[in-house]
Amino acid sequence: MLTEIMDREFVYSGHVGCPGCGATIAMRFVLKALGEKTIMVLPACCWSVITGPYPLSALKIPVIHAAFETGGATASGVRAALDMMGDTETTVLTWAGDGGTFDIGFQALSGAVERNENFLYVCYDNEAYMNTGIQRSSSTPYGAWTTTTTGQDWKRLRKKNIVEVLVAHRIPYVATASIAFPDDLLRKTQKARETKGSKFIHIYASCPTGWRIPSEMSVKIARMAVQTNIFPLYEVEDGRKYTINYKPKEYLVREYFKLQGRFKHLTDQDLDQIQQMVNEDWELLLHKAGDRS
Amino acid sequence: MNEAKNPNPLFMPITYLTTESNKTGSWRFLHPQYDEKTSPCSVACPAGEDIARIEMLASQGLFKEAWETILRENPFPSVCGRVCFHPCEGQCNRRELDMAVAIHSLERFLADTAIRYGIKPVLEKRPSQKQRIAVIGAGPAGLSAAWFLSMLGYACHVFEASAEAGGVLRWGIPLYRLPLNALLHDIQQVEAQGVTIYTGKPVSPDVLEIMKKDYDAVFIGCGHGRGMSMNVPGEDLKEVSEGLDFLRKLREGETPPCQGVSAIIGGGNTAIDVARSVVRLGGKALLLYRRRRQDMPALELEVEMALEEGVKLQELVAPAAVARDEDQVVLTLQEMKIAGDEGGRARVAPDEGKTRKVRIDRIFKAIGAQADEPRHQPPAGDEGLLSLSHTVLVRGNQGPVMVFGGDLTNETKSVVHAVASGKEAAMALDTLFREGFEAIVPKLEACRVGEGPSLSMEIYMGGQRRLRNPHVVRYEEINTDYFGFIPRVIQPRLLKEERVQSFEEIDLKISANLAMKESERCFNCGLCNQCDNCFIYCPDTSVMRDKDHQGRHINYDYCKGCGLCVVECPRNAMSLREEES
Ligand SMILES: Cc1cc2nc3c(=O)[nH]c(=O)nc-3n(C[C@H](O)[C@H](O)[C@H](O)COP(=O)(O)OP(=O)(O)OC[C@H]3O[C@@H](n4cnc5c(N)ncnc54)[C@H](O)[C@@H]3O)c2cc1C
Ligand code: SF4
Repeated sequence: MLTEIMDREFVYSGHVGCPGCGATIAMRFVLKALGEKTIMVLPACCWSVITGPYPLSALKIPVIHAAFETGGATASGVRAALDMMGDTETTVLTWAGDGGTFDIGFQALSGAVERNENFLYVCYDNEAYMNTGIQRSSSTPYGAWTTTTTGQDWKRLRKKNIVEVLVAHRIPYVATASIAFPDDLLRKTQKARETKGSKFIHIYASCPTGWRIPSEMSVKIARMAVQTNIFPLYEVEDGRKYTINYKPKEYLVREYFKLQGRFKHLTDQDLDQIQQMVNEDWELLLHKAGDRS
Repeated sequence: MNEAKNPNPLFMPITYLTTESNKTGSWRFLHPQYDEKTSPCSVACPAGEDIARIEMLASQGLFKEAWETILRENPFPSVCGRVCFHPCEGQCNRRELDMAVAIHSLERFLADTAIRYGIKPVLEKRPSQKQRIAVIGAGPAGLSAAWFLSMLGYACHVFEASAEAGGVLRWGIPLYRLPLNALLHDIQQVEAQGVTIYTGKPVSPDVLEIMKKDYDAVFIGCGHGRGMSMNVPGEDLKEVSEGLDFLRKLREGETPPCQGVSAIIGGGNTAIDVARSVVRLGGKALLLYRRRRQDMPALELEVEMALEEGVKLQELVAPAAVARDEDQVVLTLQEMKIAGDEGGRARVAPDEGKTRKVRIDRIFKAIGAQADEPRHQPPAGDEGLLSLSHTVLVRGNQGPVMVFGGDLTNETKSVVHAVASGKEAAMALDTLFREGFEAIVPKLEACRVGEGPSLSMEIYMGGQRRLRNPHVVRYEEINTDYFGFIPRVIQPRLLKEERVQSFEEIDLKISANLAMKESERCFNCGLCNQCDNCFIYCPDTSVMRDKDHQGRHINYDYCKGCGLCVVECPRNAMSLREEES
């Protein structure tokens, strides 16, 4: 990691993210990698709040607050305007949560990337609608408690595999990244910036408040998600070329679930089942990456 | 439509202030802070070396600085890198992950590197003081006392009976463990610090009386140079001699006769050194020990190498009688049995009626040592006597203070304990001269590494190290996510066949590359190595770079006290405490 890149800062102190907020760490990293020539499109999400009430902003770059479902469309417009002005250098970044990506903003995202608009879409994933009160999204993982999947009605459906959905659009670059692996995250963001066309980065960003974890554990949990293969780090070029960036060894998902209040109702049997699901997904990924025939 | 002519222009709210007006520090109920702590290795090191920092500097390629960091606490890195029992490694936190850091190999590497490049250390030295101090005995205790006293600004004169300085290091430990050069370098360094060593100057009681007039204090580090008696019939036959004398002859350049079988009685360093030397001179060595191998005070690795080299061992036997039989001797051995436990070692008693005999050519006694003369021992009684952890201070009614140290007062007799006593003596005398007798104990207490008993001269002299928290870092406090399995460096050694041919040093040098790799294995328990994790992970952009020694500080105006920096600090150099309300 280049120290100059790590040293530059585009997030002001005084923002209203919760203590230990993973989404804020993700923002710091991504903007360090992109630099000041960046315009951000911010559909409704935690960050719409974190950046502070009008007339304050926690970000040192221009931001357009956009409606929940319009992350992809607004970015397309901003890109077109910049291109008309002859500015091809500025990166257009859509910064959306999982709700704005997996659910509400999905059609605009799909439309924009189908047109291969030249922009970067970052989804920082905290696996539920957090700032509105922890409601389940299609990104909420199997087994999780949310305020809309309470008690014994915990979510019994799989998390949508958004990365594969984007890969299916055959865009130039799709990657996963984690706040616990800054070098990898910065490298991928820089690679995305240098790639023309639509780019999508899915960043795992822990949420101490919504996940019922101590604030100081948020990076640790993010690291464990990667170590247990729950959130593998990989990148896909042109919808075909898979590269797995980190191959963990033999960590059990149980360890990851144990630490989080949102999973505390799960029985050993449930955990065994989840382990199987994770193993299955990992095998599938290995196949795609050509590491299994 | 032209926007300028629009009677109802589009209102677009644009932010114009930053969130910095929002002092989120008020949310905080936990308070993270930089809090450097104490590594267990440094507590275990009798000389209190700042090992965590030494390895950190070494891993950054700052070999000179690392070596100087050793010298602040121990003037004998070249010697201790070779012959110290390295109790530090026994407490290394890394043992719980894979294996202890090879601290002694790194110490030796740093010393060798300094010798190779002729590096001169730059160390803090206090301005000159008026008091003069005499040191009797140029063993590691006396030389360390002189080294630290001259650091503190005192003129020191060392008087040594032998023709050369070094004590047991010069006249006892064989060359295959401690080559002459390695020793001379450390001694020359002590001299370069301003210490004068007079050799060939045995201090008799008369001379001591004269000295007492010329000096403000006398340090007595005469060591244990005289063997003990076995108290068995036939002990005074000419075939029975002292192991210490044999080793001394060797180091004086003689080749004492060794043909046939030599029996060596004992299980400590001296016994093993004699046995291995006998083998090197072409003789056969039979080691006879009254307890078992695992009870030997000698280092296990030394015993193992001795056996590899062909030394034979008989356990649970004690000498009962010696008799001449033509040109050989017959040694009667009393068999011993285990009769309980004594601080982890077997307690033994004679197995009545069971004896056996061995025919050999000579016997070397190595059953322990004592002071050459009783007057070297600190006086009994407690009038004006101050017993510290490694020294005894005696304040007479008139005349200078006497401090006894090294083997004379140490419970564990080793080089590094001798260094520890020299350091303690220097601190005690300096405190005595500046602040008086009563100040000594509290002052020493304040210079302990962790909870003690080791002392730090850097702390005494007011260096950065005094700011450390005495809390000793535990393995669970290290964030092992940042440390993967890395095998410990394998010490290259001469082959067994090469070893027995000569007195060449057995342990070979390790390369700078290997040394750096090894030092990177160190967790640097409790120390900040500027890894920057706190800055990187702070969600509140509240870790600010600055130019002080920490390199950064926390901006409490905004820090929300999430505690991430403390958890992500790999080495436990931060702490989280409750905010005072
Ligand atoms: C064979 C052997 C092997 C050892 N191996 C190890 C080892 O591997 N590792 C380890 O840590 N320890 C080892 N030890 C122990 C260690 O060497 C001693 O604990 C240490 O040397 C004690 O230091 P000292 O300064 O107190 O005494 P010494 O080293 O004995 O030095 C005392 C000095 O005082 C001088 N002296 C005595 N009387 C007078 C006088 N009246 N006037 C002037 N000078 C006088 C002596 O000549 C001598 O030079 C070994 C000891 C022996 C005997
Ligand atoms: S890891 Fe390093 S600092 Fe920690 S105990 Fe071992 S040698 Fe000392």
